[in-house]
Amino acid sequence: MGAVFSKIKDNLKEGIRENSENSLARKIAHGKNAKFIWIAVMAVLLTVPAYAGDYAINVMILMLFYMALGQMWNLLGGYAGLVSLGQQSFIGIGGYALAIVSEKYGLPAPLAFAVAAGVSVLFALVISIPIFKMQGVYFTIGTWIVSECLALWFSTWAWVHYAQGYNITVTYNLSAKQIYYVAFAVGIGSLAVVYFILRSKLGLALMAMRDNSAAAEVRGVELYRTKLKCFVISACVTGVAGAAIYLQQAFIQPSNAFGISWTVSMVFIVVIGGLGTVEGPIIGAVIYVLIRQFLYNFPGFSMVILGIIAIAIILLAPRGIMGLVQKWVSIDIFSVRRR
Amino acid sequence: MNNIIEISGLNVMHGDLRALADVSMNIESGKIVSIIGANGAGKSTLLNTIMGVHAPAAGAIRFEGRDITKMRTSKIASLGLAMTPEGSRVFADMSVMENLLMGAYLPGAKKAKAGQLEKVYDMFPVLKEKSAQLASFLSGGQRQMLSIARAIMMNPKVIICDEISLGLAPVIIHDIYAKVKELNAEGITFLLVEQEIKRSLRHADYSYVMVKGRVVMEGKSSGLSREAVSDAYFGINQFA
Amino acid sequence: MLETLPQAIVTGVLLGGLYAIIGIGMSLIFGIMKLTNIAHGDIMILGTFLTMHITQSLTGNPIIGLLLTIAIMLAFAFAIQNFLINKVITKGAEPALLVTFGLSIIISNALFLVFGANTHTIPSTLVTTNLIRTAHVSVSMMYAVSFIVAVAVIVALSLVMNRTSFGRAIRAASSDTVMSELLGINTKHMYIFAMMLTVVTASIAGMLVGMTFPFYPTTGTQYLIIAFGVVVIGGMGSLLGTLVGGIILGLAQLVGANLIGATYQQLIGFIVLLVILAVRPQGLLSKAARK
Repeated sequence: MGAVFSKIKDNLKEGIRENSENSLARKIAHGKNAKFIWIAVMAVLLTVPAYAGDYAINVMILMLFYMALGQMWNLLGGYAGLVSLGQQSFIGIGGYALAIVSEKYGLPAPLAFAVAAGVSVLFALVISIPIFKMQGVYFTIGTWIVSECLALWFSTWAWVHYAQGYNITVTYNLSAKQIYYVAFAVGIGSLAVVYFILRSKLGLALMAMRDNSAAAEVRGVELYRTKLKCFVISACVTGVAGAAIYLQQAFIQPSNAFGISWTVSMVFIVVIGGLGTVEGPIIGAVIYVLIRQFLYNFPGFSMVILGIIAIAIILLAPRGIMGLVQKWVSIDIFSVRRR
Repeated sequence: MNNIIEISGLNVMHGDLRALADVSMNIESGKIVSIIGANGAGKSTLLNTIMGVHAPAAGAIRFEGRDITKMRTSKIASLGLAMTPEGSRVFADMSVMENLLMGAYLPGAKKAKAGQLEKVYDMFPVLKEKSAQLASFLSGGQRQMLSIARAIMMNPKVIICDEISLGLAPVIIHDIYAKVKELNAEGITFLLVEQEIKRSLRHADYSYVMVKGRVVMEGKSSGLSREAVSDAYFGINQFA
Repeated sequence: MLETLPQAIVTGVLLGGLYAIIGIGMSLIFGIMKLTNIAHGDIMILGTFLTMHITQSLTGNPIIGLLLTIAIMLAFAFAIQNFLINKVITKGAEPALLVTFGLSIIISNALFLVFGANTHTIPSTLVTTNLIRTAHVSVSMMYAVSFIVAVAVIVALSLVMNRTSFGRAIRAASSDTVMSELLGINTKHMYIFAMMLTVVTASIAGMLVGMTFPFYPTTGTQYLIIAFGVVVIGGMGSLLGTLVGGIILGLAQLVGANLIGATYQQLIGFIVLLVILAVRPQGLLSKAARK
């Protein structure tokens, strides 16, 4: 039995190795000039504030934030098979962690990130007890109801100023450049988290879960743990991102902090970019932010357009833009098709 | 010769696996035709492809001269092709009567409903007895009868049966084949799938033998010897 | 508190009727095509806005408004089912779920573009009339009408499903697609009909909701959760269960609010729902639970 399992594991490793050849990021990462390209990308991103105007910096900030949110939703929906509509729970928790640490108690804002991470993890663990009893669509709606409960509860809770919320005054002393580096850390951090998860044992288990034939081997307790780990990690990073986002937004209220529109954007970003790929959320976030900015004065209209794009992609290119790119790239440039 | 179903050069893929390779058949109108083969020979795939459940990679299927290769299953059924799938697939949460009425769903069959109902109750008295019961309470044999009766309710030109004798007692199998003959005498063409060579050759006018997705032998049942079929059936299969 | 309990129970049960008719379409769609229609609440609110708009701009008679709304909604149902959902329904649960999610966003934002973010109501004299009024209990005509309409719709739907060839075909398509096709039933057409039935019930529910409560373009999500709660409690796909589910949810909200405080009405409903989901993930009254 043990031998069989280790054999399957070997096969899986092999499978991931093959799979990784299909991943554009890894093609770049493992290519001849890999280090050079990564250094160049980082250098460009790190120096953005030096040459970009405030508007461009703010757009970049949004892209990094939304990319992080997309990565975390993708970790659940694209890899762990947990389609959640309740990620806004953690954004709200993160945002309120910031508000309470810095506004209510006047403590230094960086502490808020630790609190956001800690409370998000704790909440994820507690809520996983009932939520993980729900399967499939029940989980999907269950997570959403949890967020709605948080919104309703915070609106009636004196300790968090009811529905009025907080002005986050720390922000007033921060420049766009400073916030940019926070966003940079959150965005690249989320990317690193996903990248290392996929290369770790947890990543192996996720691949096994996706591959039905191997799923039988990873059933029961292990399956539960794998999903729970993803749920908690995703909650943690989303919570930190939530704190960072509200550091930029400077105002928090239960209705927007725990609003479904956060998850709407995550779903759009991942679906448009490509479900279950590392690159998908990057592409998706760029497109999402550009469309939102382009139609900034018509918020309803931009959401209608994004909805139409998302549906069109589900119908015509279920693997998103990244799926199309992979198809094209692997045939025309790299031609490292599997099989 | 009047062929009601003509299959030519049919290829079906299940993923990367070739389930049917270049299958051609002619089913003569008014006959009982059987397809013999072991598990995995592609018999069910063939029947399902005729009915439009699977899409072929290549080849054509004609019914009464009309190309039905790419037609939707419900449309094919409406032309007069009925199928009793493997495992009878009666609607367990409906009564026996409701199941039969489902057979008379199409407008043509709906008109003939009363007469057909009387006919199937005549043929299968047990169904009349249990007409108000849920189909989930029927025995395996009774479900198979209900499945055939439901097909008859469609008032079809052809009935395609996938392994109607699977898992049934010999007495019941005998009974069911008697009904097949009866219906055939009224002009309904039958296309049967069988695993048992002897039974197939006894009841069918014409037989095809399939191995691994190919037709390896065909002929009038009277002209095929059990040994020859057996050789074809097992001979190649042994090394599979 | 104790004096107001009878009132809470009566209102809870009657509100449950309204909840049932909100949830029934979702239950139908789930029962027939195993799809959780995330756009259900928004489709209903679309019906509410249409009824309001048509009633205001035409005769002022909400019934005529409702009938015209249903006509438009039928065309809409055909379009979304035939051109969108039917294209992905065979590709597993996720794509179809995401399509309805996209639809939900499109509908609510389109409503926002057309009608603005303001709160609206469909004026009706039913709201201010009382059917019964005693010292302890009064029954609002609006709530009573909603309850009666809900029961009538559920009875009518059950009759259609159990007594007609059309209803049987829909049931057949929901239990075995391939077999139904073999019997000549075009299952995709059945899905279209099911979506049409759904929008009819959603339009009726939408009108009742619009008369009972204020609404705005994003209210749909709130009713989606109610609809989901109703079908989860009652068992997905069970018509009678929908009524029971609605009443349980309505009672939980109002009795809970009576005991703890009116501000917690919605929160209590959601928490009851979460508990039920966690304890009985397949619903209180579903087949799986009965076995």
